[in-house]
Amino acid sequence: MTAQAGRAGTSPAPRSLPRVLGPIRPRARWQELRLLLLVALTLAIGSVSLGTALTGEVGLHDPWGLGIYLAALLGAHGAQVLAGRRTDQILLPAVAMLGGLSLLLMERLPQDLVIQRFFGTSFGLAEVQLIWLVGAITVAATLGIIVRSDSWLRRYKYTWAAVGVGLLLLTFVLGTEINGQRLTLQIGPISGQPSELLKVILVVFLAGYLSENRALLVEQDTRVGPLRLPPLPYLAPMVAMWAIALGIVVVQRDLGAALLFFGVFLALLYAATGRISLVLIGLVLFLLGSAAMANLFEHIRTRIDIWIDPFSDPLGAGYQVIQALHAFARGGLLGMGLGGGLPEIGGRPPIPEIHTDFPLAALGEELGIVGVVAILGIYLVIVQRGLRIGVAAADDYRSLLAIGLALVIGIQAFIIAAGNLKVLPLTGVTLPFISYGGSSLLANAVVVGLLLALSDKGVEPPPLPRPGSRWRRLTRRAAA
Amino acid sequence: MDGFTLVLWGARLLFLLLLYVFLARVIRALLRDLRAAAREPVDRPGRLVVLESPGGEPAVGRSFGLDVITPLGRDVNNAIVIDDPFASAEHAVLTYRGRSWYLEDLESTNGSYINGQPIDGVAALGYGDELQIGQVRFRLERTRA
Amino acid sequence: MLGPTGASPPLGPTTIHVALLLSVAFAVLAGAAGYWGVVRAPELARSPDDAAVIAASRTVPRGQILDRDGTVLASNEADENGELYRVYLSPTISQVIGYASRIYGRAGLERTFDAELTGLAGDPLTDAFAKFGAQRYDPKDLTLSLSHDLQQAAVSALGKRRGAVVMLDPRTGEVLALASTPTYNASRLANPATAAATFEALRDSPAQPLLPRATLGRYVPGSVFKIVTAIAGLGSGAITAETTYTEQPRAERTGLLVEGFRVRDGHHPETGSTALDLIGATEVSCNIWYSLTGLETGGAALVDYAGRMGFGAPLPFDLPTAISQVTNGSGTDPGGFVDDVELANASFGQAETFVTPLQMALVAATVANDGELMRPWLVTALSGAGGKRTIGPESMGRMLSATDARAINEAMVQAVEGPLGRRFTSGAKVSGVTTAGKSGTAELGGSGEPHSWFIGFAPADDPQVVIAVLVEQAGRGGEVAAPIAGRLMTRWLKGGE
Repeated sequence: MTAQAGRAGTSPAPRSLPRVLGPIRPRARWQELRLLLLVALTLAIGSVSLGTALTGEVGLHDPWGLGIYLAALLGAHGAQVLAGRRTDQILLPAVAMLGGLSLLLMERLPQDLVIQRFFGTSFGLAEVQLIWLVGAITVAATLGIIVRSDSWLRRYKYTWAAVGVGLLLLTFVLGTEINGQRLTLQIGPISGQPSELLKVILVVFLAGYLSENRALLVEQDTRVGPLRLPPLPYLAPMVAMWAIALGIVVVQRDLGAALLFFGVFLALLYAATGRISLVLIGLVLFLLGSAAMANLFEHIRTRIDIWIDPFSDPLGAGYQVIQALHAFARGGLLGMGLGGGLPEIGGRPPIPEIHTDFPLAALGEELGIVGVVAILGIYLVIVQRGLRIGVAAADDYRSLLAIGLALVIGIQAFIIAAGNLKVLPLTGVTLPFISYGGSSLLANAVVVGLLLALSDKGVEPPPLPRPGSRWRRLTRRAAA
Repeated sequence: MDGFTLVLWGARLLFLLLLYVFLARVIRALLRDLRAAAREPVDRPGRLVVLESPGGEPAVGRSFGLDVITPLGRDVNNAIVIDDPFASAEHAVLTYRGRSWYLEDLESTNGSYINGQPIDGVAALGYGDELQIGQVRFRLERTRA
Repeated sequence: MLGPTGASPPLGPTTIHVALLLSVAFAVLAGAAGYWGVVRAPELARSPDDAAVIAASRTVPRGQILDRDGTVLASNEADENGELYRVYLSPTISQVIGYASRIYGRAGLERTFDAELTGLAGDPLTDAFAKFGAQRYDPKDLTLSLSHDLQQAAVSALGKRRGAVVMLDPRTGEVLALASTPTYNASRLANPATAAATFEALRDSPAQPLLPRATLGRYVPGSVFKIVTAIAGLGSGAITAETTYTEQPRAERTGLLVEGFRVRDGHHPETGSTALDLIGATEVSCNIWYSLTGLETGGAALVDYAGRMGFGAPLPFDLPTAISQVTNGSGTDPGGFVDDVELANASFGQAETFVTPLQMALVAATVANDGELMRPWLVTALSGAGGKRTIGPESMGRMLSATDARAINEAMVQAVEGPLGRRFTSGAKVSGVTTAGKSGTAELGGSGEPHSWFIGFAPADDPQVVIAVLVEQAGRGGEVAAPIAGRLMTRWLKGGE
């Protein structure tokens, strides 16, 4: 709009009110409603299954919790109908299904794994998770309704990058160390894991950077021996990303976040440029860096040793990983049924950190391979949806933003699921929408909210390309 | 097998089944969307068909292939020249940005309309929408019907 | 920047590549889930490290273990907290049944069948559906082929000496006795009150009471290994029962020269200058004849025939077994022998040959069952609330023809009942019943007493029981092991002493 006003050469006419406050034109979202009803039915059956298994009497387990969750979903749906935007109708139900599974899972784990006090009342694991789930749905739906412009992300990408680096540094200086990892930042009463937010900021920055420099990254070459590389200055961000990823490993001792960030970076780089060579260079850099890190840091080496052969120390270092594999084995094909798994042994969950790091193993025990495959399928659906939104978006920036956001979810889910299944070394990232934790749920809700907003093409057109030679050439050609 | 066990079994199997029913429906929706997208032509994305033109320039029924940027107006330098007293010299520009259409009113005297609604600056439009400049009405259509 | 006609290529294709890559990655995850949840599940779900197995062991009564006559060998008692611990009938069965201790884990059958005894796993087919049942645990009682009577007799026959007795039914492979001495009191290990002190004492004892010698002890076999050589020689067709060697009588005095090394024989002057055949050589346990037979047969065939009977790999058994070997395989000659000297020595069980008592029982069983070896097994039935599942006999295959087996059978009868053989195997005969056998005196080098061996079976014309007896460093096979074998076979065949 700025370009248009400038071109007209006159002062812009007074604009009408922002559309947010304009007349409301509700638009039915039948597909979303149908899918949400299916989600509600599934979760209700799951609740019966859980309640029956736990109490020995036929009935719903915790109808209030389920009711609140479903009401929140219905509210989100209603709000979107009222807002009347043509946004995606599949993302919310898919995420709602995963969140519902999370709720059912948290309800059957020992409730004293987490005790939080809000307003003088203490809440157990499932209650806290329910609060975060409702918060996450609210955030996602709200973003999906009110975000109509991307300029606040597009224009300030370097500011965002600075915020990200700042968060990282702040975690380093003020972060609390838990299990040798410096992940949690506590400021006053609020504590959170900044790396969850950092991943969104990373995509915002990368989308801005890559969309601007795409042409240059694709077209020009510098020859280094047999390799054809983009102009060297454009490799700088790559090196910077590499340094940041390794920095995260050093500073936060967080292998998972480093893997996630670098994975998203490489995937997005490939999507934007189509250059395999860049990805290969990145992979080599990452492997070299990892090898160096493994040599320098004991805890990383331990992780890798455990990954290669957890059975060498089944009751010590390998315990957590092995018990996860045992959980999958107990589940077998069809699982023990919700509530049929092993909740605790000697007063502790069978797998340490089951609610944050191993929810997939817990679900694998209760729902079996059949259930796990369904869950993996839902993640793929969310990713596919995000990528589709990206491909259909109005310009490169929005495309790359949506693709990046979708990849964050997909790659993160892959990393932790692979860690649970001994495909990759175990890292401490969360399973999106299922793991316990406010930071994780809210950050992933922001991702979904932005994807929802991006899926609506009909609101604000992307800014015209900057008035420059190309614009003039194109207008001239069109006019001729 | 007693009723209790039956309920337990039923609920467990039904839950797994419903997960897959959900997955199947979601995937069906995705595929339908992808098929629809595949039908959209990629190059030369659309054309404007003249529905009504009191001045006869352009002629009713004429179809204009659209470029990425298509200026419309009374001036002869426009890609689509509208010889109508209510049209401004540089009236509006129709752009295809990324993957969708936008009509941008260039501060014309009488404004531009989509489906009878005056537009405010820039507005998105889709295939089948009608746009009006001066007294001339067009319909945006796909290149291949 | 302007989409398809802009300067940059469209994002679609590269995005599809990324999507495909991610789909493949997720497919790998699904595959991994299938691997752990289906392929590896049976093994993992019954592992004693499994959290559910550990949890169940505290509260769910384990299944009982019964012998073939229904005598309860292992049962449960509750401590003051109501948590259960195991009680065992007698120390004589400890090496077989092992123990289930809350502190020291499991051993023996308690370990192998932990999941079944706990009730977490039965047969894999109904397992998938049993998981949906309301009753999660169905502990199975194990019925063993073992006879507690015979087991006790075997242990008391060994007395204070270290050794092992394996008795089985050659027709089915059922293990009737599997004794190892010294024994230990498994009840004291399973009882939380006495576990720690007991375990430490047992672990530190030089007699290694925790070692089940019958299955995990590896010993030089000495002359009992000659039966393996005979099986390989006849089986491969290298010799017949009538084969004689002209150089053999002279070599009795001077030793047999193999590649510059002289293989010497034990003392049996009675045979004089007669060239012995299979029967004669077995009766007097002629090392020279067996060396020549080994060389004639060749290392490859010897190792191959031994391998068919279980050498070279853990035995397919209900308990873990040590690997028996003909040679350590470090050489380049066929079969892994270093040279013919090693092969010649191995042919009468000296060299690098090590065997478990159970393995030697299987060798005797092969001959006894006319050449067909039955898989040895202990657990004959699993019974729980979900019904009873019996396990039947299973063949490990035919090792050699019935004719060849009978020839060796005849030679082994001669070794026990023949006028010369009787001297080497005194006391092995079951009175009134034709008895077959072979004693062994395994020289250990140095000044220590040799291991005393005997393998055999009875009745020779219709074998019902096979026995392998080993007594560590007890002297000549015919003097120590053979009488024990005779007594135990008599007890089994006739009942009582």
